[in-house]
Amino acid sequence: MSYTELTVWTRGIIMDKEGRDIVNSVSASARKEGKYAQAMENYVDNPDRTNCPTRKYCRVSDAILENELTYENEHPNIVVLVEGTMVKGWDYMRGMPPGGTLIINTHYTPDYMLRFVPGPERLAQLVCVDAAKLADHKWLYYRLGELGLDRLSTEGAAERSKLVAPDIAAPLIAAVVKTTGIVQMKTIQPMIANQHAFNLALEEMKVLQLNPVAV
Amino acid sequence: MPVAEAKKRMVRINGCVASAQAAKYADVDVIAAYPIRPYTATMMALAQMVANGELDAEYIVADSEHSQLSIAHGAASAGARVFTGSSGVGVQFAYELYSPISGSRMPVQMMIADRTLDPPGDFGSEHTDALSTRDMGWIMGWSCDAQEAFDNHLIAYRIGEDRRVLLPQMVCQDGFFVSHITGDVELPDGGQVREFLPPYKHPYPLDPRRPVSHGPQIMPEQGPPLQLERARAMEESMAVIEQAHEEFGKIFGRKYDPWLEEYKTDDAEVVFFLQGAHAVTARFAIQHMRERGIKVGMVRLRTIRPYPTERVQDSLSKFKVVGVIETNMALGSVSSGGALYAEAAAALYEADKRPLMMSFMAGMGGEAIVLKEFYWMTEKMIEAQKKGKIEKRTHWVGFEH
Repeated sequence: MSYTELTVWTRGIIMDKEGRDIVNSVSASARKEGKYAQAMENYVDNPDRTNCPTRKYCRVSDAILENELTYENEHPNIVVLVEGTMVKGWDYMRGMPPGGTLIINTHYTPDYMLRFVPGPERLAQLVCVDAAKLADHKWLYYRLGELGLDRLSTEGAAERSKLVAPDIAAPLIAAVVKTTGIVQMKTIQPMIANQHAFNLALEEMKVLQLNPVAV
Repeated sequence: MPVAEAKKRMVRINGCVASAQAAKYADVDVIAAYPIRPYTATMMALAQMVANGELDAEYIVADSEHSQLSIAHGAASAGARVFTGSSGVGVQFAYELYSPISGSRMPVQMMIADRTLDPPGDFGSEHTDALSTRDMGWIMGWSCDAQEAFDNHLIAYRIGEDRRVLLPQMVCQDGFFVSHITGDVELPDGGQVREFLPPYKHPYPLDPRRPVSHGPQIMPEQGPPLQLERARAMEESMAVIEQAHEEFGKIFGRKYDPWLEEYKTDDAEVVFFLQGAHAVTARFAIQHMRERGIKVGMVRLRTIRPYPTERVQDSLSKFKVVGVIETNMALGSVSSGGALYAEAAAALYEADKRPLMMSFMAGMGGEAIVLKEFYWMTEKMIEAQKKGKIEKRTHWVGFEH
């Protein structure tokens, strides 16, 4: 039986939708492929505050999810850091089984970032993608007023924008799918609003192969 | 899209949004809102629907839950179909209004997404918030997923607005487990809702053209007849509740027993008795234990007010041991545990055969009840069955070996 947990660490308000878009799009794609999948936010981290770390979860399985009500991913196989400086300060590797994947939004190389990762021996690969550059991302503080309206939306219940991944989530989703195969590229790509950044990431992501799991 | 043009479709939404959708489909006239998590997501979704023109309703943000329920009371008195909601301490801040609303026979509907009461400020789900109001004359029940939450809102309006009932309703769902976990929800055809839930018309609305008094001061001797009428309305609602569920099943194709869901109880010797979302994990646990030959089942209470005394008696008296999973606190109560035990035990008092009963304090503070905890609780029930007696009435799950 195949069971995969994806945990996304992001920052409250300013990058909340980005994190949500990653788990929601992967989960929706998995369900389209006939798998059982669930996406949710960490209930305790929310309601989010500007810049505070918040977690989003996705579970994909061949079998029905019996842990649907368990509110945290306990053993994430894939971890995404939506903002590069999150690499320091939190144990986002906690519970990761050997053979995991860590994906970071950063302009640094995986060789450089590896030194900050707690428990890197569990990683099969470390992936760096400069999502902010690829999505031509203008940092969000200058439009906090707008975000206050659009994003302080209580866990997405009243988001105005219906676009999935119009911004930095697009390259990160590309990295997740290309390096892990959690869902098929052809299923997820049509959902993505920022196709340009998605396609650029497929070419430009940097992957450091580490400790493949012995089969 | 306005409800009148809505066609049946499947959507993936959480319980909070399902509740907002249900209010939209019920074409409510007045929404009284005040934010408190997890209910906030419902009021946000409704605000968006009103702003987008999908729902033509007065949306009033109050300055507190007390005002919120006061607005709901006033609007209902003027004949409006009213939707409101809250969670946790918010439910309690409005406490003064619960009895006046049911006492004046206003079928206000309140969505509750459970939240643990303070201290010290926990987001997680416990049913204590709504259960603390259970004797205030409101129809009350819990759903276990987003679809059931949507359905329960429509059914509850139909029950509460029936001339034989005219009582407010609390439509409850667990915070997070239902409110924030997405599920597949079938949104109905607008025509189905029109058939099931006709426009609301209160028989005696406040109207300057036909002056009447609502809620005046009365003499002591005028009190008992009013209380008796309210008590009778609650009793008589039982037939209406059954009728509403039956009709809902015919129109929408989803058939619910209004009182109890029984899961693998045919040959069960020990059963869990619970309400709300943890039934989802309980079913998986029971499947696994059944594969190991353990005769375990589940009885889920769907409506707690009015309490289905005879049904609970008939159902639970079939088993050897009943383990009540509380998910609520009734400090210093008969079991020194939760409120569900006391009422189930009282219902069984008149039964010819009484099972052994124990109370499990599980899912407290919004913790998930995981499979191994269901296995542990089952072991405790089987131990009691073998010994033929209860050695410990209340177990705090996770704090014992």
